Amino acid sequence: MAKALHTHPQAREGDDNSIGSLVDAHGLLTPEAERDAAVSDDQLRELYRMMVICRRLDQEGLNLQRQGELGLWGPYVGHEAAQVGAALAMESTDWIFPYYRDFAMAVCRGIDPGNILTIFRGLTHGAWNPYEYRFAPFIIPVGTQVPHAVGFAVGCKFDHEQTAVLVGFGEGATSTGDWHEAMNFAGVFQAPVVFLCENNQWAISVPVEEQIAGRIVDRAAGYGFPGVRVDGTDVLTVYAVVRAAAQHARQGHGPVLVESVAYRLQAHTTSDDPTRYRTDADLDPWKGSDKDPIERCAERLRQRNAYDDTFAVAVAQEAEERASAMRQTLVAARPPHPESVFDLVFANPPASLMRERDEFTSSLEQGGAE
Amino acid sequence: MPMSQFLLPDLGEGLEEAQVVQWLVDVGDIVQLNQPICQVETAKALVDIPSPFAGTVRVLHAQPGDMVLVGAPLITIEQPRTSPAPATSDEEHPPVLVGYGAGGPPQTFSRRRRGVDHGGASAVTVTPPPEATAVPGVERESKASPLVRKIAQERGIDLAAIRGTGPGGRIRVEDLESVAGPVAVAAPQPTTTAEDEERISTVGLRKAIAAKMMKSATTIPHFVEYSLFDATNLSALRDRLRGEGGPFAGQRLTFLPFFVRALVAAVQVHPIMNSRWDEEGNAIVVKRSISVGIATDTERGLVVPVIHNAHAMSFGEIAAEIERLVPLARAGKLDVRSMTGGSITITNVGAAGPVDTGAPLINAPEACVVGFGAIKLRPTVVGEQVLARPGAWISIACDHRIVDGATAAQFMGALVSGLENPDSLIQ
Ligand SMILES: Cc1ncc(C[n+]2csc(CCOP(=O)(O)OP(=O)(O)O)c2C)c(N)n1
Ligand SMILES: [Mg+2]
Repeated sequence: MAKALHTHPQAREGDDNSIGSLVDAHGLLTPEAERDAAVSDDQLRELYRMMVICRRLDQEGLNLQRQGELGLWGPYVGHEAAQVGAALAMESTDWIFPYYRDFAMAVCRGIDPGNILTIFRGLTHGAWNPYEYRFAPFIIPVGTQVPHAVGFAVGCKFDHEQTAVLVGFGEGATSTGDWHEAMNFAGVFQAPVVFLCENNQWAISVPVEEQIAGRIVDRAAGYGFPGVRVDGTDVLTVYAVVRAAAQHARQGHGPVLVESVAYRLQAHTTSDDPTRYRTDADLDPWKGSDKDPIERCAERLRQRNAYDDTFAVAVAQEAEERASAMRQTLVAARPPHPESVFDLVFANPPASLMRERDEFTSSLEQGGAE
Repeated sequence: MPMSQFLLPDLGEGLEEAQVVQWLVDVGDIVQLNQPICQVETAKALVDIPSPFAGTVRVLHAQPGDMVLVGAPLITIEQPRTSPAPATSDEEHPPVLVGYGAGGPPQTFSRRRRGVDHGGASAVTVTPPPEATAVPGVERESKASPLVRKIAQERGIDLAAIRGTGPGGRIRVEDLESVAGPVAVAAPQPTTTAEDEERISTVGLRKAIAAKMMKSATTIPHFVEYSLFDATNLSALRDRLRGEGGPFAGQRLTFLPFFVRALVAAVQVHPIMNSRWDEEGNAIVVKRSISVGIATDTERGLVVPVIHNAHAMSFGEIAAEIERLVPLARAGKLDVRSMTGGSITITNVGAAGPVDTGAPLINAPEACVVGFGAIKLRPTVVGEQVLARPGAWISIACDHRIVDGATAAQFMGALVSGLENPDSLIQ
């Protein structure tokens, strides 16, 4: 059966370097690639706008956790370019399989941030219908979304859909068996997948050098497809490279691994104290404006004469409003009905489960669960 | 104007309490939403708390150093009527997530309260009345849904004593009814405490002390050595220093700064006493700087303020630092730095009562704790005569993994010699 599915000999030979050659040795878009990508001023301003909004939402997420409104928050400051650049690079017909930190991707897909937060308040298991947004649920078990994405992408291929699938994960996830199996499967079946590794250099307290011998990007070669390492603080680079990778996948040339290198500037989550395993000095190289995704984007806009105070103030204002709206949506959210634990697992629930549900319902009526 | 109380949330996952490190606002201040109001230290991290409301600060419910339970009030803010109460004040808003830690009524453990809890809600199990379908003496795992467990807990019903009528013996809500009356009486039963007992809660400082001492007693192989020293010269020196025309004239000047100085001098000769056992690295870590903890009795319990870098301080500086730290410790106002980072500890066992000596427990992970007993007149052999002279016992408890008896004895020798010839201590 496999033949028709996975053989694209020309892709295997011809295209391997085309994506890698978009960037220079520093992982930045080359001038030629930038010209070819032809990202308009408006597109770049949109990338900037979403990054500013998402950073403000991240800050508000942290506030809300400290105020007891959320059980947990996983800050993504430092990941803005990777998440916004990659999410906006995908077509609306494409799919995204995120991991738990990809909040900004969800926002870029148009999901209401206040609703997303209900997950971190413990009110919902997944706050959106994946089919509505073509955005799979956030995944907490490290790496498990990667085979999901590959399987889904192979399905799209079976159905002859022109769909690419973006899957997000941290560098820590590349140590899991799931990740390797998924990479292998994707290579063999030429699945239309863009693997986006958000390498933030830490898996909780484990630094990347204790996680991986060699470079993540080089692992793609072992599975027979191209890999490209990009500067994950430059949104234009991420955007152009992921867009090209998705195009490559959609056209049937198989998967691409994009390793986006940046830094986790905050704690792993609000349950973590990074001062126990890293120092302020570790952060210093990543704190300058030359490493700040938003500052860098503003600089690019300035060079194009596409940035002024009116624009910046309007964006900041919008970010404030969206943070406030997110807070209001969250605090207005109500707990789900207890019976909803029986929903969403079976399309056709078995009789034993229905019995349990009935028993549960009647005990609720008698005892008053709340 | 609506008053909004902010209850301490669970800032990590499953935390039960946090210690207030400092307030960043005062009563009367106007605060904005998300403005940092205080810093608290949890078992996991030092955390800035942003204000959940905008308004005027009316009450700070805890002081720096106080332990606050998750769910206990932290701050009360008066919100302007016009402001759209964004966070937790209005009744319709479900309660903030205060975690699943402590049972019982949350409260702040301030030094005024001494952590005494006269019967917390979760403290006592009420035995089911005899007419119920109880099966006394039968130990078994009871099958029951979380709801049934919750109701049983609320009413103080012991599920193990109930025979369930559901499938496979599962206990149902109705089964509880036959034990403790109609479900409608869902209010928690008042808990009963035996008349002749008082229950003292062990959250907060008491709990921290308990954990630390347990660790010390069970993981450190202690040995203790004792020696008596002759305090004649020391007493005379102290009298001279605080006497008329002396540098400490009119001041109290306790013996403590002398003890600290003598300890520092002895440690300088025997640096191994100023070390700790590193479990993970399987190594002994000897500290270059000498920071002396002073075990201090406070109303809330034992607190150990630290004289940082005592080796670099003059006698006068040490005396002044003690005078600064001890009152702060007693008032519960030490900042975190002043309570951590010690490398060796002194306990003044003679200060609290007529105690000559004792075998102290090491302040883990340090290598050594030195106890000083009361200085008083003692029969002392001088030449061929027995004279009444001031003297005191010293006890040194050591971690035997790090130090052997002979080393401790030499250290004791240096200490005794320093205290018996104290002039060098004040240079
Ligand atoms: C299978 C599994 N193992 C362990 C964990 C605990 N855990 C949660 S996040 C994490 C680190 C992941 O690091 P990385 O993949 O680099 O992502 P990052 O959090 O840095 O964005 C670990 C070990 C988990 N959630 N799932
Ligand atoms: Mg990581």
